Amino acid sequence: MNQPASREAVTDVVELRIPAKAEWVSIARLAVSAVASRLQFSIEEIEDVKLAVAEALVSSIARGGSRIDIICESLADGLRIRVRNFGVPEQPEVIDVASVDESAASSLGVFLIRALMDTVDYDARAEGGSDLVMFKRLPA
Amino acid sequence: MLFASFSKARQRHDAAPDRQDPAYERERNELVVAHLNLVRFLALKFANRGEPLDDLVQVGTVGLLKAIDRFELDRGVEFTTYATPTIVGEIKRYFRDKGWAVKVPRRLQELNLAVNRASEKLAVQLGRSPTVVELSQDLGAGEEEILEAQELGQAYNLLSLDSEISSDGDRRSQTLADTVGMTDSGLETLEDRANLERAFAVLSGRERVIIYLRFFESISQTEIAQRLNVSQMHVSRLQAKALDKLRAVLKE
Repeated sequence: MNQPASREAVTDVVELRIPAKAEWVSIARLAVSAVASRLQFSIEEIEDVKLAVAEALVSSIARGGSRIDIICESLADGLRIRVRNFGVPEQPEVIDVASVDESAASSLGVFLIRALMDTVDYDARAEGGSDLVMFKRLPA
Repeated sequence: MLFASFSKARQRHDAAPDRQDPAYERERNELVVAHLNLVRFLALKFANRGEPLDDLVQVGTVGLLKAIDRFELDRGVEFTTYATPTIVGEIKRYFRDKGWAVKVPRRLQELNLAVNRASEKLAVQLGRSPTVVELSQDLGAGEEEILEAQELGQAYNLLSLDSEISSDGDRRSQTLADTVGMTDSGLETLEDRANLERAFAVLSGRERVIIYLRFFESISQTEIAQRLNVSQMHVSRLQAKALDKLRAVLKE
Protein backbone atom coordinates (compact mmCIF):
# COMPACT_ATOMS: atom_id res chain seq x y z
CA MET A 1 0.00 0.00 0.00
CA ASN A 2 1.16 3.49 -0.76
CA GLN A 3 1.09 6.31 1.71
CA PRO A 4 -2.26 8.04 1.61
CA ALA A 5 -2.07 11.53 0.15
CA SER A 6 -3.43 13.02 3.33
CA ARG A 7 -4.15 11.65 6.78
CA GLU A 8 -7.08 13.98 7.29
CA ALA A 9 -10.47 12.37 7.69
CA VAL A 10 -12.66 12.27 4.61
CA THR A 11 -15.67 14.52 5.05
CA ASP A 12 -17.62 14.24 1.79
CA VAL A 13 -17.35 11.90 -1.15
CA VAL A 14 -18.52 12.44 -4.72
CA GLU A 15 -18.30 9.46 -7.07
CA LEU A 16 -18.68 9.37 -10.80
CA ARG A 17 -18.64 6.27 -13.00
CA ILE A 18 -18.04 6.77 -16.70
CA PRO A 19 -17.55 4.42 -19.65
CA ALA A 20 -13.85 4.15 -20.55
CA LYS A 21 -14.35 6.19 -23.72
CA ALA A 22 -12.83 9.53 -24.71
CA GLU A 23 -16.20 11.23 -25.24
CA TRP A 24 -16.99 10.99 -21.52
CA VAL A 25 -13.83 12.70 -20.33
CA SER A 26 -15.37 16.16 -20.43
CA ILE A 27 -18.16 15.01 -18.08
CA ALA A 28 -15.55 14.07 -15.53
CA ARG A 29 -13.72 17.37 -16.05
CA LEU A 30 -16.91 19.28 -15.39
CA ALA A 31 -17.89 17.26 -12.34
CA VAL A 32 -14.44 17.52 -10.83
CA SER A 33 -14.23 21.24 -11.52
CA ALA A 34 -17.57 21.71 -9.77
CA VAL A 35 -16.30 19.78 -6.74
CA ALA A 36 -13.04 21.74 -6.65
CA SER A 37 -14.92 25.01 -6.99
CA ARG A 38 -17.15 24.06 -4.05
CA LEU A 39 -14.03 23.44 -1.95
CA GLN A 40 -12.91 27.03 -2.68
CA PHE A 41 -9.95 26.25 -4.93
CA SER A 42 -8.85 29.13 -7.13
CA ILE A 43 -9.47 29.19 -10.86
CA GLU A 44 -5.87 28.25 -11.55
CA GLU A 45 -6.01 25.31 -9.14
CA ILE A 46 -9.32 24.16 -10.62
CA GLU A 47 -7.76 24.18 -14.09
CA ASP A 48 -4.81 22.17 -12.74
CA VAL A 49 -7.12 19.58 -11.21
CA LYS A 50 -9.19 19.32 -14.40
CA LEU A 51 -6.10 18.88 -16.52
CA ALA A 52 -4.69 16.25 -14.14
CA VAL A 53 -7.95 14.29 -14.12
CA ALA A 54 -8.23 14.46 -17.90
CA GLU A 55 -4.68 13.13 -18.24
CA ALA A 56 -5.38 10.35 -15.77
CA LEU A 57 -8.51 9.39 -17.70
CA VAL A 58 -6.78 9.42 -21.08
CA SER A 59 -4.03 7.15 -19.83
CA SER A 60 -6.64 5.00 -18.12
CA ILE A 61 -8.67 4.65 -21.31
CA ALA A 62 -5.54 3.61 -23.18
CA ARG A 63 -5.14 0.67 -20.82
CA GLY A 64 -8.55 -0.80 -21.57
CA GLY A 65 -11.31 -1.88 -19.22
CA SER A 66 -14.90 -0.89 -19.80
CA ARG A 67 -15.41 1.71 -17.12
CA ILE A 68 -13.57 4.19 -14.91
CA ASP A 69 -14.60 5.37 -11.46
CA ILE A 70 -13.67 8.87 -10.36
CA ILE A 71 -13.88 9.26 -6.61
CA CYS A 72 -13.51 12.76 -5.20
CA GLU A 73 -12.89 12.90 -1.47
CA SER A 74 -13.16 16.21 0.31
CA LEU A 75 -10.63 16.49 3.14
CA ALA A 76 -10.06 19.26 5.62
CA ASP A 77 -6.81 20.19 3.89
CA GLY A 78 -7.63 19.52 0.26
CA LEU A 79 -9.15 17.32 -2.42
CA ARG A 80 -8.18 13.71 -3.05
CA ILE A 81 -9.19 12.14 -6.34
CA ARG A 82 -8.99 8.44 -7.14
CA VAL A 83 -9.16 7.45 -10.77
CA ARG A 84 -10.03 3.77 -10.57
CA ASN A 85 -9.16 1.77 -13.61
CA PHE A 86 -10.21 -1.80 -14.39
CA GLY A 87 -7.78 -2.46 -17.25
CA VAL A 88 -4.09 -3.42 -17.37
CA PRO A 89 -2.24 -1.98 -14.37
CA GLU A 90 -0.16 1.13 -14.91
CA GLN A 91 3.59 0.92 -15.49
CA PRO A 92 4.28 4.59 -15.14
CA GLU A 93 7.96 5.08 -14.66
CA VAL A 94 10.61 4.76 -17.32
CA ILE A 95 10.06 6.18 -20.77
CA ASP A 96 12.43 7.48 -23.39
CA VAL A 97 11.57 11.11 -23.87
CA ALA A 98 13.81 11.51 -26.90
CA SER A 99 11.31 9.39 -28.82
CA VAL A 100 8.04 10.90 -27.66
CA ASP A 101 5.25 9.80 -29.93
CA GLU A 102 1.54 9.11 -29.63
CA SER A 103 1.99 5.92 -27.63
CA ALA A 104 4.30 7.59 -25.11
CA ALA A 105 1.97 10.54 -24.71
CA SER A 106 -0.18 8.81 -22.10
CA SER A 107 2.87 8.02 -19.97
CA LEU A 108 4.04 11.60 -20.34
CA GLY A 109 0.69 12.55 -18.91
CA VAL A 110 1.84 11.04 -15.62
CA PHE A 111 4.70 13.53 -15.47
CA LEU A 112 2.25 16.31 -16.12
CA ILE A 113 -0.05 15.06 -13.35
CA ARG A 114 2.89 15.04 -10.94
CA ALA A 115 3.68 18.62 -11.91
CA LEU A 116 0.09 19.75 -11.33
CA MET A 117 -0.90 17.93 -8.16
CA ASP A 118 0.74 17.87 -4.73
CA THR A 119 1.02 14.10 -4.43
CA VAL A 120 0.40 11.24 -6.86
CA ASP A 121 0.36 7.56 -5.88
CA TYR A 122 -0.66 4.21 -7.31
CA ASP A 123 -2.66 1.59 -5.50
CA ALA A 124 -2.80 -1.80 -7.16
CA ARG A 125 -6.06 -3.43 -6.19
CA ALA A 126 -6.34 -7.07 -5.18
CA GLU A 127 -9.66 -7.27 -7.07
CA GLY A 128 -7.83 -6.23 -10.26
CA GLY A 129 -7.21 -2.83 -11.81
CA SER A 130 -5.54 0.04 -10.03
CA ASP A 131 -6.15 3.44 -8.49
CA LEU A 132 -4.26 6.54 -9.43
CA VAL A 133 -4.58 8.63 -6.30
CA MET A 134 -3.86 12.33 -6.52
CA PHE A 135 -4.12 15.03 -3.94
CA LYS A 136 -4.40 18.79 -4.30
CA ARG A 137 -3.83 20.80 -1.16
CA LEU A 138 -5.99 23.81 -0.36
CA PRO A 139 -3.99 26.99 0.17
CA ALA A 140 -3.57 27.50 3.91
CA MET B 1 22.06 8.99 -22.00
CA LEU B 2 22.85 12.43 -23.32
CA PHE B 3 23.25 13.86 -19.86
CA ALA B 4 26.30 11.89 -18.79
CA SER B 5 28.59 13.67 -21.21
CA PHE B 6 26.79 17.00 -20.94
CA SER B 7 27.24 17.17 -17.20
CA LYS B 8 31.04 16.99 -17.71
CA ALA B 9 30.84 19.75 -20.30
CA ARG B 10 28.72 21.82 -17.98
CA GLN B 11 31.19 21.43 -15.12
CA ARG B 12 33.89 22.65 -17.49
CA HIS B 13 31.71 25.58 -18.53
CA ASP B 14 30.74 26.49 -14.95
CA ALA B 15 34.42 26.54 -13.96
CA ALA B 16 35.21 29.08 -16.69
CA PRO B 17 31.92 30.64 -17.83
CA ASP B 18 33.54 33.29 -20.03
CA ARG B 19 35.59 30.94 -22.18
CA GLN B 20 34.30 29.92 -25.59
CA ASP B 21 33.27 26.27 -25.39
CA PRO B 22 31.74 25.03 -28.65
CA ALA B 23 31.47 21.46 -27.38
CA TYR B 24 29.40 22.62 -24.41
CA GLU B 25 27.16 24.77 -26.60
CA ARG B 26 26.62 21.93 -29.04
CA GLU B 27 25.73 19.41 -26.35
CA ARG B 28 23.39 21.86 -24.68
CA ASN B 29 21.65 22.49 -28.00
CA GLU B 30 21.31 18.77 -28.59
CA LEU B 31 19.62 18.39 -25.23
CA VAL B 32 17.22 21.21 -26.00
CA VAL B 33 16.32 19.74 -29.38
CA ALA B 34 15.90 16.28 -27.86
CA HIS B 35 13.34 17.59 -25.39
CA LEU B 36 11.39 20.00 -27.57
CA ASN B 37 8.77 17.28 -27.96
CA LEU B 38 8.24 17.33 -24.23
CA VAL B 39 7.83 21.12 -24.31
CA ARG B 40 5.40 20.88 -27.20
CA PHE B 41 3.43 18.14 -25.47
CA LEU B 42 3.10 20.18 -22.29
CA ALA B 43 2.35 23.46 -24.11
CA LEU B 44 -0.47 21.74 -26.01
CA LYS B 45 -2.14 20.86 -22.71
CA PHE B 46 -2.47 24.55 -21.92
CA ALA B 47 -3.47 25.60 -25.42
CA ASN B 48 -7.18 25.89 -24.62
CA ARG B 49 -6.64 28.76 -22.21
CA GLY B 50 -6.67 31.55 -24.75
CA GLU B 51 -2.97 32.13 -25.46
CA PRO B 52 -1.25 31.24 -28.76
CA LEU B 53 0.46 27.84 -28.76
CA ASP B 54 3.67 29.34 -30.18
CA ASP B 55 3.96 31.63 -27.17
CA LEU B 56 3.44 28.71 -24.82
CA VAL B 57 6.10 26.64 -26.60
CA GLN B 58 8.44 29.60 -26.32
CA VAL B 59 8.01 30.12 -22.56
CA GLY B 60 8.05 26.35 -22.10
CA THR B 61 11.42 26.25 -23.85
CA VAL B 62 12.71 28.85 -21.41
CA GLY B 63 11.65 26.43 -18.66
CA LEU B 64 13.47 23.62 -20.44
CA LEU B 65 16.68 25.67 -20.59
CA LYS B 66 16.43 26.38 -16.88
CA ALA B 67 15.92 22.69 -16.20
CA ILE B 68 18.91 21.72 -18.35
CA ASP B 69 21.14 24.24 -16.57
CA ARG B 70 20.05 23.15 -13.11
CA PHE B 71 19.63 19.39 -13.43
CA GLU B 72 21.97 17.32 -11.28
CA LEU B 73 22.72 13.89 -12.69
CA ASP B 74 23.51 12.35 -9.32
CA ARG B 75 20.15 13.21 -7.81
CA GLY B 76 18.82 9.95 -9.11
CA VAL B 77 15.70 11.23 -10.88
CA GLU B 78 14.89 11.08 -14.55
CA PHE B 79 15.45 14.34 -16.38
CA THR B 80 11.82 14.33 -17.56
CA THR B 81 10.64 14.07 -13.96
CA TYR B 82 12.79 17.04 -13.11
CA ALA B 83 12.07 19.13 -16.21
CA THR B 84 8.27 18.77 -16.37
CA PRO B 85 7.47 20.86 -13.27
CA THR B 86 9.99 23.49 -14.36
CA ILE B 87 8.44 23.76 -17.83
CA VAL B 88 4.87 23.68 -16.49
CA GLY B 89 5.85 26.26 -13.87
CA GLU B 90 7.16 28.59 -16.54
CA ILE B 91 3.98 28.20 -18.62
CA LYS B 92 1.78 28.82 -15.60
CA ARG B 93 3.77 31.86 -14.63
CA TYR B 94 3.17 33.22 -18.12
CA PHE B 95 -0.59 32.92 -17.63
CA ARG B 96 -0.31 34.55 -14.21
CA ASP B 97 1.63 37.47 -15.68
CA LYS B 98 -1.11 37.88 -18.26
CA GLY B 99 -3.70 38.28 -15.50
CA TRP B 100 -5.36 35.09 -16.62
CA ALA B 101 -6.83 34.20 -13.20
CA VAL B 102 -8.72 37.48 -13.27
CA LYS B 103 -9.81 37.22 -16.88
CA VAL B 104 -11.24 33.72 -16.63
CA PRO B 105 -13.92 34.46 -14.03
CA ARG B 106 -14.80 37.59 -15.97
CA ARG B 107 -15.05 35.59 -19.18
CA LEU B 108 -17.23 33.01 -17.43
CA GLN B 109 -19.47 35.73 -16.07
CA GLU B 110 -19.80 37.31 -19.47
CA LEU B 111 -20.45 33.94 -21.05
CA ASN B 112 -23.02 33.26 -18.36
CA LEU B 113 -24.89 36.43 -19.32
CA ALA B 114 -24.50 35.66 -23.01
CA VAL B 115 -25.91 32.17 -22.43
CA ASN B 116 -28.98 33.65 -20.74
CA ARG B 117 -29.55 36.11 -23.57
CA ALA B 118 -28.97 33.49 -26.25
CA SER B 119 -31.30 30.97 -24.64
CA GLU B 120 -34.11 33.50 -24.51
CA LYS B 121 -33.51 34.42 -28.14
CA LEU B 122 -33.32 30.79 -29.26
CA ALA B 123 -36.37 29.86 -27.20
CA VAL B 124 -38.37 32.38 -29.20
CA GLN B 125 -36.91 31.23 -32.53
CA LEU B 126 -37.31 27.52 -31.86
CA GLY B 127 -40.47 27.60 -29.82
CA ARG B 128 -38.75 25.46 -27.17
CA SER B 129 -35.84 25.65 -24.82
CA PRO B 130 -32.55 25.31 -26.77
CA THR B 131 -30.03 22.49 -26.23
CA VAL B 132 -26.48 23.11 -25.12
CA VAL B 133 -25.26 22.17 -28.59
CA GLU B 134 -27.50 24.85 -30.13
CA LEU B 135 -26.26 27.41 -27.61
CA SER B 136 -22.68 26.42 -28.31
CA GLN B 137 -23.19 26.96 -32.05
CA ASP B 138 -24.95 30.26 -31.51
CA LEU B 139 -22.26 31.62 -29.20
CA GLY B 140 -19.23 29.99 -30.80
CA ALA B 141 -18.20 28.54 -27.44
CA GLY B 142 -17.51 24.94 -26.47
CA GLU B 143 -20.24 22.85 -24.84
CA GLU B 144 -18.10 22.28 -21.77
CA GLU B 145 -17.45 25.99 -21.54
CA ILE B 146 -21.16 26.76 -21.62
CA LEU B 147 -22.00 24.23 -18.93
CA GLU B 148 -19.14 25.58 -16.86
CA ALA B 149 -20.22 29.17 -17.35
CA GLN B 150 -23.69 28.24 -16.16
CA GLU B 151 -22.28 26.49 -13.12
CA LEU B 152 -19.23 28.56 -12.20
CA GLY B 153 -20.62 31.84 -13.47
CA GLN B 154 -22.99 31.78 -10.55
CA ALA B 155 -20.25 30.92 -8.10
CA TYR B 156 -18.60 34.25 -8.76
CA ASN B 157 -21.13 36.33 -6.89
CA LEU B 158 -23.54 36.96 -9.69
CA LEU B 159 -26.81 37.71 -7.97
CA SER B 160 -30.03 37.65 -9.86
CA LEU B 161 -32.07 40.81 -9.66
CA ASP B 162 -34.84 38.55 -8.48
CA SER B 163 -32.95 37.16 -5.51
CA GLU B 164 -34.64 37.89 -2.24
CA ILE B 165 -32.86 40.22 0.11
CA SER B 166 -35.26 40.69 3.00
CA SER B 167 -35.62 37.89 5.51
CA ASP B 168 -37.23 39.67 8.40
CA GLY B 169 -40.37 37.61 8.32
CA ASP B 170 -42.19 40.29 6.40
CA ARG B 171 -44.73 38.64 4.20
CA ARG B 172 -43.73 40.81 1.30
CA SER B 173 -40.38 39.59 0.19
CA GLN B 174 -38.08 42.19 -1.27
CA THR B 175 -35.81 41.54 -4.20
CA LEU B 176 -32.72 43.30 -5.41
CA ALA B 177 -34.72 44.57 -8.35
CA ASP B 178 -37.13 46.28 -5.98
CA THR B 179 -34.32 48.33 -4.49
CA VAL B 180 -33.20 49.46 -7.93
CA GLY B 181 -36.44 51.28 -8.48
CA MET B 182 -39.20 50.63 -10.94
CA THR B 183 -38.61 52.82 -13.95
CA ASP B 184 -40.48 50.67 -16.40
CA SER B 185 -43.73 49.89 -14.69
CA GLY B 186 -45.45 53.03 -15.87
CA LEU B 187 -48.06 52.30 -13.27
CA GLU B 188 -46.98 55.01 -10.85
CA THR B 189 -48.11 57.63 -13.32
CA LEU B 190 -51.65 56.34 -13.29
CA GLU B 191 -53.94 58.42 -11.21
CA ASP B 192 -57.22 57.24 -12.33
CA ARG B 193 -57.89 53.93 -10.71
CA ALA B 194 -61.09 53.50 -12.61
CA ASN B 195 -59.17 53.71 -15.84
CA LEU B 196 -56.84 51.03 -14.64
CA GLU B 197 -59.65 48.75 -13.65
CA ARG B 198 -61.17 49.13 -17.09
CA ALA B 199 -57.81 48.46 -18.67
CA PHE B 200 -57.42 45.29 -16.65
CA ALA B 201 -60.38 43.87 -18.48
CA VAL B 202 -58.25 43.40 -21.58
CA LEU B 203 -55.85 41.10 -19.77
CA SER B 204 -56.20 37.36 -19.69
CA GLY B 205 -56.74 35.76 -16.33
CA ARG B 206 -53.14 34.69 -16.01
CA GLU B 207 -51.78 38.09 -17.07
CA ARG B 208 -53.99 39.75 -14.50
CA VAL B 209 -52.70 37.45 -11.77
CA ILE B 210 -49.09 38.19 -12.72
CA ILE B 211 -49.56 41.96 -12.80
CA TYR B 212 -51.39 41.85 -9.51
CA LEU B 213 -48.76 39.74 -7.76
CA ARG B 214 -45.87 41.61 -9.31
CA PHE B 215 -46.97 45.22 -8.78
CA PHE B 216 -49.51 45.11 -5.99
CA GLU B 217 -47.97 42.36 -3.88
CA SER B 218 -44.35 43.06 -4.96
CA ILE B 219 -43.60 39.38 -5.45
CA SER B 220 -40.59 38.43 -7.56
CA GLN B 221 -40.98 36.93 -11.01
CA THR B 222 -39.15 33.86 -9.80
CA GLU B 223 -41.58 33.38 -6.97
CA ILE B 224 -44.57 34.00 -9.22
CA ALA B 225 -43.16 31.42 -11.59
CA GLN B 226 -43.01 28.90 -8.77
CA ARG B 227 -46.56 29.66 -7.68
CA LEU B 228 -47.93 29.31 -11.20
CA ASN B 229 -45.64 26.38 -11.95
CA VAL B 230 -44.18 27.97 -15.10
CA SER B 231 -40.70 29.24 -15.94
CA GLN B 232 -39.48 32.64 -14.82
CA MET B 233 -38.90 33.50 -18.48
CA HIS B 234 -42.50 32.74 -19.21
CA VAL B 235 -43.62 35.04 -16.39
CA SER B 236 -41.32 37.72 -17.74
CA ARG B 237 -42.83 37.43 -21.23
CA LEU B 238 -46.40 37.45 -19.94
CA GLN B 239 -45.66 40.46 -17.78
CA ALA B 240 -44.15 42.37 -20.70
CA LYS B 241 -47.10 41.50 -22.90
CA ALA B 242 -49.58 42.51 -20.22
CA LEU B 243 -47.87 45.84 -19.66
CA ASP B 244 -47.90 46.53 -23.38
CA LYS B 245 -51.61 45.81 -23.50
CA LEU B 246 -52.27 48.10 -20.53
CA ARG B 247 -50.25 50.89 -22.07
CA ALA B 248 -52.09 50.57 -25.36
CA VAL B 249 -55.51 50.68 -23.69
CA LEU B 250 -54.60 53.61 -21.43
CA LYS B 251 -53.29 55.67 -24.34
CA GLU B 252 -56.63 55.54 -26.09
